[in-house]
Amino acid sequence: MKYLIPAGFAVFAAILIAVPLLASNEYELRLFMLFLIYGVIAVGLNVLVGLTGLVSLGQAGLFALGSYTGAIVATRIGFDIIASSIAAAIVSGIFGVLLAFPTVRVRGVYLAVVTIAFGIIVENVAIEWQSLTGGTTGLTSIPRPNVFGVRLSGFAFYGVLAVALFVITLLVHNLKTSRYGRTMLAVSQSETAARALGINPTALRTLAFVVASVTAGIAGTFYAFLNSYISPDIFTFSDSVRFLLMVILGGAGSTFGPIIGAYILTYMPEYLQQFQLWQKFAYGALLLLVMFALPRGILGTLHQMLKRLRPADPVPDVSEGLPAATTLRRDHNEVAAELVANSLTVRFGGLTALSKASLRVKGGEIHALIGPNGAGKSTFVNTISGFYQADEGQFELDGIPLTGRRSLDIARLGLARTFQNTELFGELSVLENVMAGYDQRLSYRMLDALLRTPRMRREELECRRTAIGLLEFVGLSKYANEEARFLPFGLQRRLEIARALASRPKLLLLDEPAAGLTTQEIDELEEMVRRIAALGISILLIEHHVDLIMALADNVTVLDYGQVIASDSPAVIQNDPRVIEAYFGTSPIHGEIAEAGV
Amino acid sequence: MTLVALCRRHFSADFITNMSEFDFRQAQVALGFHIMWSAAKAVNFAHGDTLMLGAVLAVMGVDAGLPLSVACILAVVAGGVFGILLERFAVRPFATSATSIGWMLTTIAVGVMSEALATLQFGGFSRPLASPGVNNAVHILGAGVYPQELVIPVFAVLVMIGLKLMQRHTLIGRAMKAVAHDKRAAALMGINVNRIVAFSFGLASLLGAAAGVLVAPVIQVSATMGTLLGLKGFAVAIIGGITSAPGVVIVGLGFGIMEKFVEGYISTAAREIIGFGVMILVLLVFPQGLFGKREVLKV
Repeated sequence: MKYLIPAGFAVFAAILIAVPLLASNEYELRLFMLFLIYGVIAVGLNVLVGLTGLVSLGQAGLFALGSYTGAIVATRIGFDIIASSIAAAIVSGIFGVLLAFPTVRVRGVYLAVVTIAFGIIVENVAIEWQSLTGGTTGLTSIPRPNVFGVRLSGFAFYGVLAVALFVITLLVHNLKTSRYGRTMLAVSQSETAARALGINPTALRTLAFVVASVTAGIAGTFYAFLNSYISPDIFTFSDSVRFLLMVILGGAGSTFGPIIGAYILTYMPEYLQQFQLWQKFAYGALLLLVMFALPRGILGTLHQMLKRLRPADPVPDVSEGLPAATTLRRDHNEVAAELVANSLTVRFGGLTALSKASLRVKGGEIHALIGPNGAGKSTFVNTISGFYQADEGQFELDGIPLTGRRSLDIARLGLARTFQNTELFGELSVLENVMAGYDQRLSYRMLDALLRTPRMRREELECRRTAIGLLEFVGLSKYANEEARFLPFGLQRRLEIARALASRPKLLLLDEPAAGLTTQEIDELEEMVRRIAALGISILLIEHHVDLIMALADNVTVLDYGQVIASDSPAVIQNDPRVIEAYFGTSPIHGEIAEAGV
Repeated sequence: MTLVALCRRHFSADFITNMSEFDFRQAQVALGFHIMWSAAKAVNFAHGDTLMLGAVLAVMGVDAGLPLSVACILAVVAGGVFGILLERFAVRPFATSATSIGWMLTTIAVGVMSEALATLQFGGFSRPLASPGVNNAVHILGAGVYPQELVIPVFAVLVMIGLKLMQRHTLIGRAMKAVAHDKRAAALMGINVNRIVAFSFGLASLLGAAAGVLVAPVIQVSATMGTLLGLKGFAVAIIGGITSAPGVVIVGLGFGIMEKFVEGYISTAAREIIGFGVMILVLLVFPQGLFGKREVLKV
């Protein structure tokens, strides 16, 4: 599988070189150039659809925006094709941010609807703003494509388009295989888990949308130069649907899928022209067919078949990994990792789930938080990890106040957590899950990712080796390439711990890690928690399992009805009458009275 | 546009008559989106096309020699059947997936196909449905109004009230609310979730087709009238807050009035710009819509 992608790029380059040599007439070449332009849109849109799982049904609007921007700066100011494309990329990029930022926070459907609305707005602004856009008649007399004042021949223009598509495909592929692609996929599968790892879903979705906008803008400028005429009716809702179909038909998330989709949907209308009115029907039918028969698209389906035929990739060698002891251990001077929560109160409407609860996890200790069902344990965990906001009280980690911070910021300050109902990135591999957990420790930026700079490669290698080491630490080495969702439940739990550890936390919050595990698995868990604590990581353990707590915990805090009723060493807690009452309902004396009453 | 021209346009008799023709169809379409969403957390993205189907089928029925009433009833029933089939074959297979891409695209595909089919059968031109409701204009505050034009807003309000009553007092209405809240829990309580969802789609489409039949006499019926209508209806539903029926209807009626003013004072293109622009702005300020309820994130 390793050589599949480079081979793909080589074949792609060969095709791009061969086509103009083989084209029999100018019309044929022109049609192929149109395909190249659509390819640019589809490849960019793939970042949004394939990686973040969001849908834009307004790409035609961004395409139009780029088209008009490019055409206007070319005719009015006399920009060449490169400067025009840059102008178009900037304008559509800005609109991409404006559109995406407010909407991606809410729900996926909203982005689709907002983009539809945007497409319609652009179409109508083009009609209405006659002085700039020429109204319904559109813009004519767009200059012939030129670079630095030199007019491009048909072949040279072809060269510009071919290079543009090739480079954009390569850059998008680099983005996909970097921290950005990995975390975008992670966000699409569990936003909650992503936040808990310090990943910023809003920023990533906005980024994906901007990539899709910028590429559509550039494609728009190319289109204006190719056609030398643009008008509002070229950019309609059904074009947006077609661009989306290109991505899905070819295979969302794959590197070359969108290009194949763009090719099919550029050439299909040529063949369908003879059917005239049925053309639109066929187009809808194709969309339906793809959704049912090829939901993963052409390349996605091929990839699956290939996977079935070929033996699985070998799991990474354990020796490749960096031992967890070295990658997780903190400098002794900085080890303190003290979590202090001071009279936290959380209310849901009239219900007070947590009432003036205070807790202190000393640096390096294993602290257990117990309490009957409904005592407020989960509320406490979700509050200190930033998912709920406290109505009153403060909490801090190593003296840094955390109150009011977002979950992802809290995660970046050194608090990692697992979830009661595991929240893995199901379709990512086990190794990738852990690598996603490592994300906040990476420092390379967008440009490094696009160009695969030495810094990016070095950090990625470090990330991978650390992840391999962590898988060994939790005993999942041989499952490294499995999709996380196929792991048995007990192993999913362990993977979540490894993923949380990858961020090198100061404090690890384990939310009922033993729930649903077998006795043997619980023994293994106990041993694993000890090893984690031995690395100097403080642990807050929320648990029901009494044996486990008594064996592990240095200190225990008991919650009941949202209040802390006891906080002491396990031995003392075990005999605390209030704790016994909270768990068993009544104290012995009350019990006797109750019996006497019967 | 100069001020004089603006004034002349404003005060022309023609314009004042036009003012009565507020377009309240979006309210009806938006209500359909609300019904589907509140049971299924999914919608028929091409719901505008069910209005089109209702109108087109009624006109075609009359063409075929059916009495007006029979043609209308058949068109409405066909709309309901269309909704149920759509849910069964285009929405349900994708209802369980995490993203909404699936049902969004399949319903768009069905919309594209039904529009293409309708164009083939109906022709590319538009015409109204002959109806007794447009024979005599009634005068209200000096403006001529056809009775038929009043039917749509009244119909939308009636449907909204009916819906509220149904959700409060009938078993199926409560079941719809339960399914919307939590499908799995509803199923465990013995509610046939699939049937409830199918019912909601059927009901939405039935009402959509009925609205199509009702507007057919006053507008020009065409095979392509559905797409933009559906998109606007969705915009209205989102502005109103898709979870609130009254919100959707109030915004729908207000939207119709606003559109007419913008169209009258500026232009048709400006109407779309402002209408959809308002939607984006509302989403910015009120992510749950004007009347919608906030959904609590659970971890």
